[in-house]
Amino acid sequence: MGRYVLRRLLQAIPVLLGTTFLIFAIVYALPGDPLQALAGEKRVDPVFAAAMREQFHLNEPLVVRYGYYVRDIVSGNFGTTFRGLPVSTIFEGKFQVTFKLAMTALIFEAIIGVGLGLWAALRRGKWEDKAVLAFTLLLVSIPTLVSGFVLQLVLGVKFKQSTGLALFPVAGIGDGLRSYLLPGFVLATVSVAYLTRLTRTSLMETLRADYVRTAIAKGMPRRRVLGRHALRNSLIPMVTYLGADLGTLMGGAVITETIFNLPGIGQQLFQSVYLRENPVVVGIVTVLVLIYIVANLVVDLLYAVLDPRIRYE
Amino acid sequence: MRVTKGAQIVTATALLALAVAACGGSGDTSSSSSGSAAAGNASAVRVEIAEPQHDLIPGNTTETSGAEVLNALFVGLVDYDADKKPFNRIAESIESTDSTTWTIKLKDGYKWHNGEPVVAQNFVDSWNYTANGANAQEGNYFFGSIAGYDELNPGEGKTPSATTLTGLKVVDDKTFTVQLKNPFSGFPTMLGYTAFSPLPKAAFESEGKLKADFGSNPIGNGPFKISKPWKRGTDQTISTVRNEEFKEGKAKVEAVDFKIYTDLATAFNDLRAGNLDIMDQLPAEAIATAKQEFGDRYIEQPSSGIGYIGFPVVSGADYAKNADIRKAISMAIDRKTITETVFSGTRVPADDFISPVVAGYRQGACGEACTYDPAKAKALFQQAGGDKMSEIVIGYNGDGGHKEWIEAIANNLRTNLGAKVTPKPVEKFATILDDLGAKKWTGSFRMAWIMDYPSPENYLRPQFGSGGSSNYSGFKSKEFDDLLTKADAAKTLDEGVKYYQQADDLVLKELPYIPVYFYQTNGAYSQHVKNVKIDPFERIDLFNVEKA
Repeated sequence: MGRYVLRRLLQAIPVLLGTTFLIFAIVYALPGDPLQALAGEKRVDPVFAAAMREQFHLNEPLVVRYGYYVRDIVSGNFGTTFRGLPVSTIFEGKFQVTFKLAMTALIFEAIIGVGLGLWAALRRGKWEDKAVLAFTLLLVSIPTLVSGFVLQLVLGVKFKQSTGLALFPVAGIGDGLRSYLLPGFVLATVSVAYLTRLTRTSLMETLRADYVRTAIAKGMPRRRVLGRHALRNSLIPMVTYLGADLGTLMGGAVITETIFNLPGIGQQLFQSVYLRENPVVVGIVTVLVLIYIVANLVVDLLYAVLDPRIRYE
Repeated sequence: MRVTKGAQIVTATALLALAVAACGGSGDTSSSSSGSAAAGNASAVRVEIAEPQHDLIPGNTTETSGAEVLNALFVGLVDYDADKKPFNRIAESIESTDSTTWTIKLKDGYKWHNGEPVVAQNFVDSWNYTANGANAQEGNYFFGSIAGYDELNPGEGKTPSATTLTGLKVVDDKTFTVQLKNPFSGFPTMLGYTAFSPLPKAAFESEGKLKADFGSNPIGNGPFKISKPWKRGTDQTISTVRNEEFKEGKAKVEAVDFKIYTDLATAFNDLRAGNLDIMDQLPAEAIATAKQEFGDRYIEQPSSGIGYIGFPVVSGADYAKNADIRKAISMAIDRKTITETVFSGTRVPADDFISPVVAGYRQGACGEACTYDPAKAKALFQQAGGDKMSEIVIGYNGDGGHKEWIEAIANNLRTNLGAKVTPKPVEKFATILDDLGAKKWTGSFRMAWIMDYPSPENYLRPQFGSGGSSNYSGFKSKEFDDLLTKADAAKTLDEGVKYYQQADDLVLKELPYIPVYFYQTNGAYSQHVKNVKIDPFERIDLFNVEKA
């Protein structure tokens, strides 16, 4: 087990190198001059530009620059932005915010998705099943941009205006965990639909399996059959999905974070791409790739817990 | 000097706000952050800003969000009254006999937040620091008119041969003199801007070197002081408390929290929910709602920006060189409809080259040329041979939300003049500016201007003077230059304004640029506050804001 984990982590190193280099190349290949972005619509001051190019090795070939970057990263230094702020300062607290948001979304996803999926699978073909399918279709087709603003307006603004109760904060993270409920739910909506359908299909598959029939024939209580046998075996695809989704949620919360003014990494990533703050972009992506790798590893290890037939040696 | 950062003022979206995402400390309830009134100081007035681009250093701040905060922490020599005219704040007097050598005397009693008195040396230190090219301060260009500026900014690859401006001299604790390169009667009007704030002794580590942490925990001399250091890029709130020792009396409110948002629509929702008190910029799509919902608490006033269509009058295409054609184009633009529909009423039709926020603006100065009259426009266009000329190109930058209004103008010209028009998007505005500089751009182009200081001179010289820093049209007129020189050397501000207006009339006749719209400030405030005023620099007068 330990050796397996170590091997997986070692495998992550080339993956990290490859992905960061790709991102590095892509970011620096974007058209336009990052220094021009600094100056807005003014012309760039030549003195300033020359000094900046020197400082950030912008005159060196890409590979050399990447070499500098890796050297810095290995020594734990993410560099500074073109505006002179250490990239690590920008990270401070931001991954935490996004992680909380993603976890809130995952919990919503798990509860609603698995619950609905289970219900639909057990009521297969009946109207409840059809209703769930229609509902998930609806969820998938509403973009977060719309659901975010609508819920913010209705539950945040209008609700408070009419009752005086600030049940859901409109924006920011000043109310602790309550701040994450609404954005977490909004972020979860699209994934909930997938997870519901995945759960439903997966459970239906399992319910048709021989051992379930055997268990029922033995007279085992229905709840135990479902819980111990069927559900546990159906969990594998769901866990896989949830694990992969964590990475997606961490990197893809741009819109939700912007609407609810959550100072997280998604928002930062977008801003940095727009402002051509390349060091920040590469830094964020590096960390996101790491999260992905770790999440995948955890998922793989969970398989062994869920299904005793899987052993890592 | 300053061409507007279209992105900053043209669109009201987070995507284009030139701010970096803000961050709420450690991300739990104990952190300073935006959110309910529970966060931060319960009695604080909460003001919306975007994230300042730099640390809180007056000389390095030229964008509105940072200036908003610094305006609460620092006071300068002058400020501006309701008539847009400068009145003295720290200055006892600002006098000159020849408009070149200015003697500035300070009042007693202004103190830094650390208790030291504000002295003449503080101004000289601060200005020398900002004017020094080696320090790469954003506000550097404000000092270009002071003697010795060139030695401090020798250009690329050279190190400044001096560390101080030769034009600044401290006479005693309460007096210093400023020597300008050329006479400029409007000099006192410059001094109310953030970049001219003084800096305390405590800001400097050694001669001419700022302390590294000064910008996150500045010691100011204004009505409010910072209550805890602000970490740029991390903290979502900049908290300030009232300065009880302020010479002019106490501010009416105990504390002000500046809350950083990346999206105006989100901030507006927070304002409606009562989690925010003042916004001095509203998302365009919310203007109609705001007027209804906020009533008296909705603010609409002119701001200093002007949007133009410009022409390379010397090196451009045939239509660009012809003053009659330019006038015909101007008369064919339906400014009223464009400002009302495309900009949902957040802009107003322009009728002068001087903004309404500046003393010297005359309503309707542009006269017939800026009045929509399709029939006259077409007649003039044909008379000048416009239909035999090459097609009209209007260049604009695609990254600043300009497409809609440029297309609208193009349609105006097609319909009213029967001209062939091609709007031409370019990735970055700087590309157009570079091409104009190299005389490669022959078509018309969008242009905008925000003032640096509220003097008509700042609208005329940089844009239309010979060798003006932002003279992109190539307009050159000796008569115009002479009038400016005359105005600069005038004995009083009012006399100067008269000559500036004569110069203004000249440009209005020639129309190297066509004024299209004035920018506006649209703001709103919550029921918790009253007496909210916004100055020509779009800064909120926080000293006089009261709790309602």
